[in-house]
Amino acid sequence: MHFSEDDLREALKRKDPGSGFTQRVMARVEQAKTEGKTEPAVKAKAKKNNGFLAWWTLRPAWIVAVAAVLLLGFGWAGYQYSEYRHAEEMKVAREKQEKLRQEAEKARDQAILALEIARAKMNHVLQHAQLPAGPNDKIRRQRL
Amino acid sequence: MNRITRTFAQILIGMLLCLSATRGHGQDARLQLANLDKLSDKAARVTDVTLDGSLLQFAVGLIEKINDEDKDVEQLKAIVKNLKGIYIKSFEFDEASQYSKADVEAIRTQLSAPRWSKIVQSTDKRHNEHDEIYLLKDHDRVAGLVILVAEAKELTVVNIVGDVPVDKIAAMEQHFVPGQKEAGRNKQKKENKHDEE
Repeated sequence: MHFSEDDLREALKRKDPGSGFTQRVMARVEQAKTEGKTEPAVKAKAKKNNGFLAWWTLRPAWIVAVAAVLLLGFGWAGYQYSEYRHAEEMKVAREKQEKLRQEAEKARDQAILALEIARAKMNHVLQHAQLPAGPNDKIRRQRL
Repeated sequence: MNRITRTFAQILIGMLLCLSATRGHGQDARLQLANLDKLSDKAARVTDVTLDGSLLQFAVGLIEKINDEDKDVEQLKAIVKNLKGIYIKSFEFDEASQYSKADVEAIRTQLSAPRWSKIVQSTDKRHNEHDEIYLLKDHDRVAGLVILVAEAKELTVVNIVGDVPVDKIAAMEQHFVPGQKEAGRNKQKKENKHDEE
């Protein structure tokens, strides 16, 4: 876009501000002074608003802190729970082992009882069959 | 494709039959004693021992763990080492003739030749006693033992499955349970002393 010299001259030529220019300027100055007095109150209000919402500006730090606390809390709770579970499992395993041991001992006693009955009955039959019973009897051993 | 499938099926059936035959052969030494259960109501004293599988292995394991170099404990270990099952049913009655001949015959029919051999038989007609010992032989090894004691007021069947060292069982000491042995010996001493007096 090109301006001719006449255009520039027309645009930059002095213009009459009109009547009451001085009064208008002075009125504006007064108004500016008045606004200047009230500025600190506005700033304080703005500051107050900023203080109330300041945490929002620190949001990432808060989030990290809360997350860390939650993480620690859940971690501790999880650890306690796993310890509890481990203790419970150990208790069950010990009870199971004890039960197995008791069963095994019962089975051992039964086996020994059974062998004693077998021995007694075998010697009883051998005696009735007039085969002398006893540990050192060679005849009976040969027959068996 | 059909031919291959059929061949595979035949092989599979053959293998299953072989397996079942082997299994059956191994279980032959165990007698069916369930028919005697009905006598429990009539008997004054019942002894019922059923030890097999894992339970017997537990018992054998515990017996083998006994840290006693006593000759009798060693003997006990030698006896239980190769056993596969111990089954005992013993009934003692207050009165005679509480069981029938059929009950005994049901046992005897399972002990038929040639697999089972009757090695000892004792009959006392005056007291109505019929005692027998049978052995099941597997080649040159013992695979099972049955002691049948049928008396007027008692019926006992002892069935031991496995490689039974018969001579060791008969030669066992009466009180060989660890801890009970000394008590047994003391009791025997007392009895002997009492007899001498």
